[in-house]
Amino acid sequence: MISETHSALLIVGHGSTVNPDSSPPNLVHAAEIRRRGVFAQVECCFWKEEPSLRDALLLFDSPALREVYIVPNFISEGYFTKTVIPRELELTGRVTERITGQVWKYCEPVGNHPLMTELLLQRAREVAPGVPENETALLIVGHGTDLNDNSAVAAKREVEKIRASGRYAEVLNVYMEEAPLVAAWAQLTRAPHVVVVPFFISDGLHSYQDIPVLLGIEAEPTAAASQREVFRQNPYQLHGRSLYYSHAIGTEPRFAEIIVEQVEAFACDTARPRKILHEVP
Amino acid sequence: MNGRAREWLREIPCRVGEIAIDRGDAGRWILTHRDDRARAELHPHDGAEAAVELARYDDAGNFRPLKTAPNLRHGWRLVLADEQEVERALDFFYPARLATWRSWRAGELRTTPLRETLERQSGMYRVTAKITETQANELVANFCRSDGGCLRTILWRRDATGTLPSTLLPAEKFDPQHDQTGRGEAALPLLCQEACNLLVAASREVVKSTPAL
Ligand code: SF4
Repeated sequence: MISETHSALLIVGHGSTVNPDSSPPNLVHAAEIRRRGVFAQVECCFWKEEPSLRDALLLFDSPALREVYIVPNFISEGYFTKTVIPRELELTGRVTERITGQVWKYCEPVGNHPLMTELLLQRAREVAPGVPENETALLIVGHGTDLNDNSAVAAKREVEKIRASGRYAEVLNVYMEEAPLVAAWAQLTRAPHVVVVPFFISDGLHSYQDIPVLLGIEAEPTAAASQREVFRQNPYQLHGRSLYYSHAIGTEPRFAEIIVEQVEAFACDTARPRKILHEVP
Repeated sequence: MNGRAREWLREIPCRVGEIAIDRGDAGRWILTHRDDRARAELHPHDGAEAAVELARYDDAGNFRPLKTAPNLRHGWRLVLADEQEVERALDFFYPARLATWRSWRAGELRTTPLRETLERQSGMYRVTAKITETQANELVANFCRSDGGCLRTILWRRDATGTLPSTLLPAEKFDPQHDQTGRGEAALPLLCQEACNLLVAASREVVKSTPAL
């Protein structure tokens, strides 16, 4: 049970040392969850920004706080959720008891949540309002299959679910650095309308600045997305099609809901025999 | 920290890093850049959340990856309703610094030697453990220095034997009583209990640029 007096929430993000758009979605979701008053305390921490994951060890010093739920704001399980976060936060498993008796509970990353599919569809509709779905190709952009990263697996899972719904003329996975490449979108699709939704946590990942260039809507990576007009110029008329380019899925306000649900899922799950979700090295 | 005594906010003006905290009308609080305290023409802001944007870019509009770097932008005035708001704003300006200070004051702050931080790294940062003593000594002096680098007071040591982080830094860099902005005023120290990720990343650059023997 989440308690508004004894439970705290820690949202863990990647952050960036170069891009100002990386951490804001985390801060926005945290502010929204704080506003709802579900937890006694809500904090963010970042791998590349402040407060750091190490700093987070100091943030929940009120003796009233009996438990801290950790939700990785990441698209998938991978190097960060399995290696970096447990190590930096000194977690020994899904449940870690500190010397003070405070218990830290490690929830699943947001990208694993079943609502993700619905959010991707919602985002696709919002970016291309009134455009018939049966004349539209939907492209979900992922990073690619990094050795330690399951984000491509997660992106494939979402594409399969959306494709199975039969709503869009075409639904495809594309990647930034491996085939099928986002840069080849015009060859990969036939529909007159093309909607591109990045399956990323923020608009601020360094590589994210390259997507508009790969799509052919910008000549070179320039300022951060927040400092450009790139989203306001939809649709782009290119290769005889209308191209609609969306913000990263993680900027969606309903992510706040998903973060809370990942905590609830953890709280419910502890009542059942525990399956090991995270290998802690 | 609802209801907790804010002992750090007793002395007014309270100075934290480059920020001055003064009392305003009707129980309100006013935050400014310490350089701007006497300035009349300041852009007004209110509410703790405004601190997020104020802390994000420097005067030239560049992103500030290190919030304790001495490049806080000028020209603003932040009005806050109560002490709790002041604390929240400071958590945006200088994330986790109040919590670190509280822990240090309580005698509970654990510091981590640089070597331990580097040896813990994995992936692309694993190589940082190879940084030599000379390189680390120089890097920390350049990267963490208060004039142009970072305003934190370093509490960690270079290794478990207690070697100074850098012999090239002045002794004040390790003294929480010292005002790291160089103004010589009483200020709440921004404490560094463990090397930040930026220093780890900079260590990687140093190691990578070392020619293989
Ligand atoms: S290691 Fe500490 S003192 Fe050095 S730059 Fe990072 S935060 Fe500042």
